[in-house]
Amino acid sequence: MSLKRALITAASPALAITVFGVIYGSLARSELGFGATLLSSLFIFSGSVQFTIAGLAVAGAGAGALIVGALTLNLRNLLLGAVLRPRLEGGRRRRAVLAWFLTDESTGLALTGDGEAGRTLLISGTMFYLAWQLGTVLGLIGASLEGVVDLARATFPVLFIGLAALACPTLGIAVRALGAALMTIAVIAAAPELSAVAAVAAAVVVSLPGRSA
Amino acid sequence: MSLGLIALIALMTYASRALALVAMPHPPERLRVVLDRIPAPLFASLAALSLVEGGGPAQAATLCAAAGALALTPTRSLLYVLAGGLAGYVVGDFLFG
Repeated sequence: MSLKRALITAASPALAITVFGVIYGSLARSELGFGATLLSSLFIFSGSVQFTIAGLAVAGAGAGALIVGALTLNLRNLLLGAVLRPRLEGGRRRRAVLAWFLTDESTGLALTGDGEAGRTLLISGTMFYLAWQLGTVLGLIGASLEGVVDLARATFPVLFIGLAALACPTLGIAVRALGAALMTIAVIAAAPELSAVAAVAAAVVVSLPGRSA
Repeated sequence: MSLGLIALIALMTYASRALALVAMPHPPERLRVVLDRIPAPLFASLAALSLVEGGGPAQAATLCAAAGALALTPTRSLLYVLAGGLAGYVVGDFLFG
C-alpha cells in the first residue's frame, strides 16, 4: 500500500477516532482529572479500555475491577497479534515498536492492504494515535462535537464490514464470517455482559473446523 | 485514579499487543491455516458488535450505513465501502433521523 493510499484509507477512521477522543477527554476529565486523562491516552491508547475504566471509576469500582476489565478487553489484542505476526517482516525490535500501534482498525488495514503489513500498521497506527491524542486534548479543553457523534459511531461498523469483505478470499471464509457475526449477536443478546469477549470467541470458533478455507 | 494504576493498565495493554507479535515464533502450518481464516470472521464479529453494543440495536441511520457498506462489498474496495456507508448514513438520517 502506497503512503498516499494508506493515508487516504486511514483518514475516515482517524476522524472518527478524533471524535471519540473528544468524548473521552470531556467525560474522563471530571473523574480522572486533566493530567491523568491525558496520561491515560498517551500511554494506554485504547478507546475501549479507557472508556471502560473511566466508566468503572465513575461507578465507584475498585482497582481490581478496573484491572479485570482491562484484561478482558485486551484479550482481543492477543488474537490480533497472532494473526498479524506471520505477515510482519523484521526482527523483534521492529515488531516491539509496531506492537504499540496494534489496534482493531490499524490491524485490519494492515491485514487487508496490498503492501507490507508492518508499514501499513505503522502509518495507520500513527495516524490513529495522533487522532486519539488530538481528540483527548480537545475534549479536555472543552470542545464538543455532539453533532457528529452519531456519524462517527457509524464509521466503525462500516469500516469493519469493509475489512471483513477484503479479508474474504473465498466463499467458505465469507460463510465463516457471516457465522461469526450471527454468533456474536446471539451471544450478546443472551448475555450482554460477555460482549467484550464475544467477538473474539466467535471468530475463533468458526475458524477452527475444517482443513481448508 | 492513581498514576500507578494508569501505568499498570498501560503496561498490560502494551503487553497484550506485544506478546504475540514479539514472542510468538512463526506458527506451524496447521496453526497458520487457522490464523489465516480468522481476520474475516473477526472483523465481521466486530462489525456485529458495533451494531448491537449496549444490548440493543444501533440507531437506524447506523444500520442504514451498515447496509450501504454491505451493498458495496462486492467492489472489494475499502474506499467504496466507506462511501457506501456514508451514503447509507445520509439516507438513513434523512428517512429516520
